[in-house]
Amino acid sequence: MLTYTLRRILGMIPTLLVISAVCFTVIKLQPGSFTDQYLEDPRFTRETAAAISRQLGLDQPAVVQYGRWLWGVITEFDFGYSFLQNRPVVSVIGDLLGWTVFISLITLLFTWIVAVPLGLYTAFNRHGFAASVANFLGYVGLAIPDFLAALLLVALVLQLGGTNVGGLFSPDYIDAPWSWARVLDLLNHLWIPVLAIGLEGVAGLMRQMRASTLDVLSQDYIRTARAKGLPQNRVIWRHAVRNAINPLITLAGLSLPTLISGTIIISIVLNLPTIGPLLYDSLVNKDQYTALTLLMLSAFLLLVGNLLADLALAWADPRVRYG
Amino acid sequence: MLNRRTLAPRLLSLVTLALVGGALAAPKKVTGYGALGITDGKPGGTYTLILGDSPQSLNYYGVIDNNLGLIAQQLFDGLVEFNYATYRVEPALAESWTVSPDGRTYTFRLRQGVRWSDGQPFTADDVVFTYSQIIMNPEARAGDAASFKLDGKQVEVRKVNPTTVQFVLPRPSPAFLLQMRSFVMPKHKLVRFSQEGGAKAADINNAWPGNVAESEVVGTGPFRLSNYTAGQKVTLVKNPNYWKVDARGTQLPYLNQLEFLIIRDPQAQVAQFLAGNVDQLNITGAQFPDLKGREVAGAPFKVTRSTALFGSPPFVAYNFDAKDPALARVFGDVRFRRAMQSALNRERIIDTVYNGLASLPGHGVAPVNRDWYANTTRQLGAFDLRAAGAALDALGLRDTNGDGIREVARGKNLEFDLTYGTDSSVYPAIATIIQSDFAKAGVKVNLKGILSRNLLSTGQSGDWEMILHAFGDQPDPELRKPIWQPGGALYYWHRSLQPAQDGGTPNLARMQPWERQIYTIFNDAATTTDRSKRKALYTRWQLLFAQNLPVTPLAKPENIGAISNKYGNYIYNLGVIPGYNPVPLIYQK
Repeated sequence: MLTYTLRRILGMIPTLLVISAVCFTVIKLQPGSFTDQYLEDPRFTRETAAAISRQLGLDQPAVVQYGRWLWGVITEFDFGYSFLQNRPVVSVIGDLLGWTVFISLITLLFTWIVAVPLGLYTAFNRHGFAASVANFLGYVGLAIPDFLAALLLVALVLQLGGTNVGGLFSPDYIDAPWSWARVLDLLNHLWIPVLAIGLEGVAGLMRQMRASTLDVLSQDYIRTARAKGLPQNRVIWRHAVRNAINPLITLAGLSLPTLISGTIIISIVLNLPTIGPLLYDSLVNKDQYTALTLLMLSAFLLLVGNLLADLALAWADPRVRYG
Repeated sequence: MLNRRTLAPRLLSLVTLALVGGALAAPKKVTGYGALGITDGKPGGTYTLILGDSPQSLNYYGVIDNNLGLIAQQLFDGLVEFNYATYRVEPALAESWTVSPDGRTYTFRLRQGVRWSDGQPFTADDVVFTYSQIIMNPEARAGDAASFKLDGKQVEVRKVNPTTVQFVLPRPSPAFLLQMRSFVMPKHKLVRFSQEGGAKAADINNAWPGNVAESEVVGTGPFRLSNYTAGQKVTLVKNPNYWKVDARGTQLPYLNQLEFLIIRDPQAQVAQFLAGNVDQLNITGAQFPDLKGREVAGAPFKVTRSTALFGSPPFVAYNFDAKDPALARVFGDVRFRRAMQSALNRERIIDTVYNGLASLPGHGVAPVNRDWYANTTRQLGAFDLRAAGAALDALGLRDTNGDGIREVARGKNLEFDLTYGTDSSVYPAIATIIQSDFAKAGVKVNLKGILSRNLLSTGQSGDWEMILHAFGDQPDPELRKPIWQPGGALYYWHRSLQPAQDGGTPNLARMQPWERQIYTIFNDAATTTDRSKRKALYTRWQLLFAQNLPVTPLAKPENIGAISNKYGNYIYNLGVIPGYNPVPLIYQK
């Protein structure tokens, strides 16, 4: 198991190298240049643009730019300089990482806590009224994009006279020190993004859980277990659910990269300080090292998520063994 | 013993009072805005505004960034500033100035007793430092070195004495005074990032990054930086050393605190305004009916309209150097551009796209700009598809094969792309109106949407046929010379005129006669110091513009702002216009 894990981790290095080269090429293939955004300003001259390009090393061949970046990463763990923010990429991402992880974790937790039981319930009570309602709501949740759900929630809050219509805090609490009032204020704002982002996930996960439970329930070993006269609870929790949850573990692993790209629109609509909009901005403005680092982070998370999923599978599913 | 002990501090405080009194000898009294509804306010309160995104740095000359500009406006001042009502230049950090008879030497006497927000005195050294080390530094990313090089020669700035600064120009430049609105920076905080302090020229860009300690950012403006929470909020607090007072002598600004919430999405901005978390918001004509409706229904805010001097009126341009030679020939023909002007339904655009909150545009100068505007309304013509059709017929652009589209050459339809910005509240609607009206005149337009931020670079790349874009009006046409002077850096509809090298002479031989006239006018006006002669030159330019339509302006949108009823003395917030900042007058009722 340990050697397997180590091998997988070592295998990530060449993969990430190839990904970084591909990402950099794609970023470079975009038309235009970082300095384009300055063109419209009356203070701009072409000399200035040339000077900026020189200062940022953009006048060098792309290969040199890439090589320098890679060398910085390897030797000093320096992921380059954000042109847009005028400081190292690592510090730019670091500013937003905390909230991004926090919101994603809360949402993930919400999704699982709601979706898994609902999925099981609808699987075991396929034809009940409550299950049909849950299924219907699931479809609605799938059909409504998260940003639209967020907008609807915001409109609702406004209609009811609320002031928590975006962001994570009321203006007064944004830079206040932590206190119970601030935590309450946070919770008062947090439910909108959690609900809006989570709703879509809930629907998907619930369908997934329901399908795989149904799948498992029709398997021979369940019938055998039942025939053996095992108590119903034991059949369900020990055999059915444990097997049905396997595909979800893989899903959970794959959902790690959504940390970065999953919340772009909703973060803009709800004004959340997460990494999503940063990725969008860096791509649109050709802030190349920020974009590259974020794409790498995303790829890295995907690889890690896969690894974790595989390890979790090995732990959860007796049929899976790595040697 | 006892006496002496009590006497000494008293004496000391008396001396200090005298010193402070002397130091505050010359605050600027802000009066005379009764017509704008300005009254005496009272100190105190917090005012919350919106930033469209996080400022990229806190060094105004390190990044070109509107969000930083909005904050910098509250932190720094220039030597001169605009009058809020007339847009005339008046004293700011400079109390007075003189211009030598030859128009080449500007001498500024600085206001006495002005202090930086950290208490250090403001002197001529700061001004000389700002201009020589930062603004004229070609490596400063948001500097303005080009404006301080006239005919390839450098403008000189020197300190005459601690309160006097002199600029010597290589030749007269009547719009030079407007450049003196540039924000002055504190030498004592920035000298170590400058060449004078031993750093490299480009190092100035690294001063004051987004995570700088708040106390490092020092200015003479009405507010000083108190807190910056990345991606969420910037808080400024009153600068106790500010040098302006109101009519009664109360020190400005009235407000204790100014907050900027960082909100990117326009819908989210409106939501925050409606929820009462934001006190003032600039809105578009499209958002006007909803907010005005709420105001009429009793919501606690007012929506105000005002005619705009600054701002970007949209225009359409045809690419004189289009890749298709048949199109290039047609686009370069003034008769075609005039014909198509009659197919532009300005009334409808103003009514439906701007909800009536726009007026007819000027040609390069806003109609409200009384100093320079020449009335060219008649040259705008009227919307008349039949006249457009007849004019196109007369040009030989007829529909010969009966498919409803005119032919530009044998077997080739008069058909071209209209490049516009899809992420704008007005461009898509305008583009659709143009497409539909042009089709009725037998001209086929294909809409080609791109991101608005890419419009200019697309324009300059030459890879377009017709474009819908907007360029800003400014108080003095000289400031927009790169746009409207043929061969200028932003005169992109006729790119083949641009000089082979920056700063070189444009390709005069390829200019059409009227372009050569406009070219000469801008060169003459740049050195003419007599105001009436300049006015005559710019009037001639506007008429040539209106007749020959290098671009066809469409409308001049009004300024629309929404302001909470809690505040008084509101004047429309123009955005980033150095030297125009009415916020110090705003007070909480």
